[in-house]
Amino acid sequence: MSVLEMRNIHKSFGSLEVLKGIDLTVEKGQVVGIIGPSGGGKSTLLRCATTLEMIDKGDIKISGQTLVTTSNSGLTQYADRKTLQQIRGRFGLVFQNFNLFPHFSVRRNITESLVVVHKKSRDEANEICDNLLRKLGMLEKADAYPCSLSGGQQQRVSIARALALNPDILFFDEPTSALDPELTSGVLKVIRELAKEHMTMVIVTHEMAFARDVADHIVFMDGGVIVEQGSEVISNPRQERTREFLAGY
Amino acid sequence: MSSLNSTLVQLAGGLRFTLGIFFLTLLFSIPLGLLVARGRMSKSRIIAGIVRVYISIMRGTPLMLQLLLVYFGPYYVFGFKLSDLDVGPFKYRFVATIIGFSLNYAAYFAEIFRGGIQSMPEGQYEAAQILGFTRMQTFFRIILPQVVKRVLPSITNEVITLVKDTSLAQVLAVTEMFTMAKNLASAQVSVIPFIVAGVFYYVMNGIIEIVMNRAEKSMNYYS
Repeated sequence: MSVLEMRNIHKSFGSLEVLKGIDLTVEKGQVVGIIGPSGGGKSTLLRCATTLEMIDKGDIKISGQTLVTTSNSGLTQYADRKTLQQIRGRFGLVFQNFNLFPHFSVRRNITESLVVVHKKSRDEANEICDNLLRKLGMLEKADAYPCSLSGGQQQRVSIARALALNPDILFFDEPTSALDPELTSGVLKVIRELAKEHMTMVIVTHEMAFARDVADHIVFMDGGVIVEQGSEVISNPRQERTREFLAGY
Repeated sequence: MSSLNSTLVQLAGGLRFTLGIFFLTLLFSIPLGLLVARGRMSKSRIIAGIVRVYISIMRGTPLMLQLLLVYFGPYYVFGFKLSDLDVGPFKYRFVATIIGFSLNYAAYFAEIFRGGIQSMPEGQYEAAQILGFTRMQTFFRIILPQVVKRVLPSITNEVITLVKDTSLAQVLAVTEMFTMAKNLASAQVSVIPFIVAGVFYYVMNGIIEIVMNRAEKSMNYYS
């Protein structure tokens, strides 16, 4: 079953058309890597899939639920608030700059949504939190505050926060771009582990070697369109534009 | 010496009203300020415009004049008998003082809150949205606690000013501490009552500084 279906996605900011008809399908257990030059629309595509941006035209389905659809007459309509809330519970997003809540401890960052939004008991939420932190090697930091953690640790906490809601699909928006190379490896390791467990993931990244290793489907985007996609885009690109881009790495 | 004692006792009597104005104004103006800040940032141009004018008038005209308008307005504009407007044991002159102060301070607090709210990074809202928090939950659990930390020093400023501004209630003949001091000074032909009153105000603000410093420190666990 497809976890994510995006069809003919169009998105403009003012007169600038950023997405010019994108089609992307992600199957359960698939790891999709999105690569391409800055300004090519990668992050915007991710933000559209995660409701942070509203699309102008197209269809998006997540876990079989319709997030937005454009009718034949051209009317684009989003799901009602309640359905949107349900759909948001089905996916997670890891931001480039973490966006942890600085006034909450690591534990509270992870458990707050479980308790407040998903009505789990504190004990249950704490158990989920402890299991995740143990897995990510962060258990001893449970009571620390984000400002006392390194960037790599903060990013692992934000991954734990996203995983806590047991999402069907996890989106990563350049998860290591704000980290120095030394800290990057720890975060990439965590994502590799998740891939081994067949977590469905969509990862926007500039780490080509990582994308080639971890993703079983690569999407190369430039100028608001998907130039090419497949399992061997990085090792064996067919398009001239892709070769040109990859030559820079 | 006995005159100093009686001065102290009488000023302490006036202190009741000073403290009453102080605490009641904070009680009403802070939530109202939050509401006004939200209105000022409203997407509706009409609401944002009205709130903008409100803030502009409150900050642009003397508080003393606003107090007089709140007090005499009901009589001159609507023909109410002012004694009919008493609220329980409180005379309308006191009620009008609280209304005037609250409306005025809400405008200042609103601008402070607005600055704090607008300084919050967009990412905090986005993370909260992805995690499924409603807009209300996001505001009260994620945004507001961080805003409070950011605006506390500016709030302290306003609170200290409020202590001194309570003396303006004399224009409505509320017998707060400053009115008392003035009356005593002219009765005793002495500046001692003014000095004592000054010490009272200064001590109050000293306490406020200590309390607010502690509050700031209590939020130092994160940056």
